[in-house]
Formats: sequence, C-alpha cells, structure tokens
Amino acid sequence: MDKRTLRLLPLCLMLALLASGCAGTQTTEVAEAPATKEAVQQPQQLIYEGEVAGFSERAKTISVTVGKGDQAKVMMVKFDEKTKGVNQVAKGKAVQVYYEMRDKDAFATDIHLKFAKLPPGTKEIKTEELNKLIKEKAPLFLVDSRPKIRFDQSHLPGAHSIPVPELEKKQAEVLPKNKDIPIVFYCGGPT
Amino acid sequence: MSTASAGLAKKLGYSDVRVYLDGEPAWSKANLPTYSTNEFVKSGNIVLIDTRPRAKVIAGRIKGAYSVPFANLEDKLDDVPRNAPIVLYGGKEVTEALSLVRDQEFNFVSLVQGGYEGWVKSGGKTEKGPVFDTEIVWVRKLGKGEVSVADFRKAASGEDKDAVIVDARTKEEVAELGIFKNTINIPLDEIPARMDELPKDKKIYVHCSTGARADMAYSELVKHGFNVKFLLLNIKDAECDCEIIRP
Repeated sequence: MDKRTLRLLPLCLMLALLASGCAGTQTTEVAEAPATKEAVQQPQQLIYEGEVAGFSERAKTISVTVGKGDQAKVMMVKFDEKTKGVNQVAKGKAVQVYYEMRDKDAFATDIHLKFAKLPPGTKEIKTEELNKLIKEKAPLFLVDSRPKIRFDQSHLPGAHSIPVPELEKKQAEVLPKNKDIPIVFYCGGPT
Repeated sequence: MSTASAGLAKKLGYSDVRVYLDGEPAWSKANLPTYSTNEFVKSGNIVLIDTRPRAKVIAGRIKGAYSVPFANLEDKLDDVPRNAPIVLYGGKEVTEALSLVRDQEFNFVSLVQGGYEGWVKSGGKTEKGPVFDTEIVWVRKLGKGEVSVADFRKAASGEDKDAVIVDARTKEEVAELGIFKNTINIPLDEIPARMDELPKDKKIYVHCSTGARADMAYSELVKHGFNVKFLLLNIKDAECDCEIIRP
C-alpha cells in the first residue's frame, strides 16, 4: 500500500460512518428518522439535528437550532445523568440529539457530535498544505463559505466570500472559468 | 457548509476540489494571519489599533485608529472586553502583535489588508496630527433579542409597568442569593411547561446569572409568540444595580 492509500483509508471510513456537513445544516428535520439500521428497528426515534444554541449545566437543558434560514427554530431538550454524550456539548457544536417525550418534556437520551463529511470526489486539505499554497502563490481559488459578516470580520489571505446560498443560486458564475485550478472551500470548523 | 459548496463545485465540473475542514478557527490557532474587509474596518464595532511608532502615526493613520506602539500593547489591552473585535495594522511588528493579542484570549483578532499603505491605496479615510494617549473605549452593541440594562432596570424598579421580569435561575440559586423586585422565578427547564403564567400583552425580560440561560429562555418564548427580550449580563456586575429582595 502506498502512502496515499493509507491516507485515504480513514477518509473512506469517515464517509461510510458520519453524518452531514460542516456545521451540518443541510438535512435538519424535526423528528426525522435517521437512515441507519437502527432506525428500521426503531422507526419512532425522535431526533433534533443542528447547532447547539445554548447549554446549561445548572438547568440541565440544551437548546438546538434546527432547520435553516427563516425556518430555523430553537428547540429545548432536558437531560439527566442517564443522557449519553453530554460532556461533548458546547455552544456552536453541530449535534444530533436523540430524545424521548416524558409527559410534556423532551428528554435527551443520546447526543452525538456531527462531523463534516467530504462529498465524493473531493479531498481534505490541512493547514500546513494550504499555508504552503498561499505562501507560494500557487494557482488556487480559496472560498470562504460562511455568511458574509463572518468573512468581513476575519478571513484567510486571498479568500473570496461565497456563502453557501449564493453559490447555490449563482453556481459556476461566481467560480473561476478555468475548471482545473484547485478550489479550496472552508468554513468555521469541522463540527 | 463548506462541504455542501465543495460537493456543488464538483458537480459543476471542477476537477480539483478540496475542503479545509479544520477551517478558520484552526488557521487562527496556528497563528496564521486573518484579515478584515475594509468595509468592516470602516463601519464595524471594532477596536482598531495602529502598532507603528508614534511619529509615523502622527504623519498619517487610519481614521478612528488608536495609537498603541507595540511595546505598550499588552498593558493597554488590559481593560478591553475580550469580546471586542480587535483589528491591527502596522509595520513588521504587526505579526508579533497579532500573536500577542490572540494570546490575550481576545475572541476576534485580525489585520487590515495591506496595512496602512494598503488602506491608503484602496481610498480609505485617514487622519493626521497629534495623538492623545486615551484609554481604549469599546461598548458592545446589543445583539438580537437583548434588552439594555437601562430598560431592564426600569422594569425591576417598577417604573415600567408594561414589563414583567422572569428570573430563569434555579429555585436554589434564588433562595441563596435573592431575587429582583417585580420578578417571577421560572427556572429555565420549567419554562416550556409554565409559559401560560406569562402575559402575552406585556414585555417580558428574562435574566439568569450570566445571560446564557436567559438567551435559551428567550428563544423558547419568542417561538411561542411572546414579546420577550433577555439580559446578557452577569447580574453580579455593578452595572446592573437593581434592588434585590434578600432571602
């Protein structure tokens, strides 16, 4: 096995195992049954997917922003000492919260961090290599996918601001004509 | 987000699409430079700092910049709130200044693209002349859903009769530390079940101990059609200065 195959191996595993996007806002649905084997066995499983909007140890409560844009809603769930994965929860993390209804209250049973998944045919780039490309002024089109306001505040050298909704609307119009130059996309981190 | 865009670019026929999954936070953490847009430098609620020697600053500087030569930087930043976005520019020393400010645990630190020369070239406004060694002043603007301390105080004193205050802390915290006047205690986790107790025709201001739970309660109440705001302030902060009914 050469080095490249070795490097690709964990990526393939990631592809096979992990759920959606950087900050993961694509497929967020209230009470969506996850497309896994478990879901077949437990079709009634309740889940909130989205970014943690708030977390209180004292009130034993987590709020999660579910859905995007105008449809975004902040959902509150309680947790208790039996809830799994609470220690990984922090504001801004992308999570899947499995919960159940106890009387009128939603209680989290299991919380997973969501990691970004690389779309087929794309590769990951790490800080060191990206820094090298930028420093060498190598051919590169660097895209900041975050909302414009975040770009305005702080962006990588030479980056172009193309928030996800803008790319979805304007497509190749906002990307370079030459389809063979390397394009690198980034946002606010892996979860 | 970046992965969604990368997938789309691949579909559009781009041959070499990569994703920098670690993103902007990893870049800053590696102490590599990040930049603000000139628009943000001009109109953002920022602290703009010129780290060059005083003589250069007197000869010309970006409008609104504080002159803080590199040697004084650490002292001068002491009292600046850590959530103030800091934008720096200067000469060679600015790289070191950038790491120093990041080490001081400021949440947002960036540079002006091209430094002073870049700013001038892009047609940005400048000023010149003597600089006064003033303290750095930065006041956070209210975010979405936040109530100002002044308005909150009016409700707590009873002066504003159209507002109701909700204390989202636990019963134990209230029992130990006391409660503001004109305030109902509904712990955050009880809000979904007890919101019927709140009036829909009045303003509701939620507070807790630091603002985190109040923010969560705000989201829950706004979703159910209440006219609600929250106080983002540590209530031990002297700024609050509302009368407390002691236990």
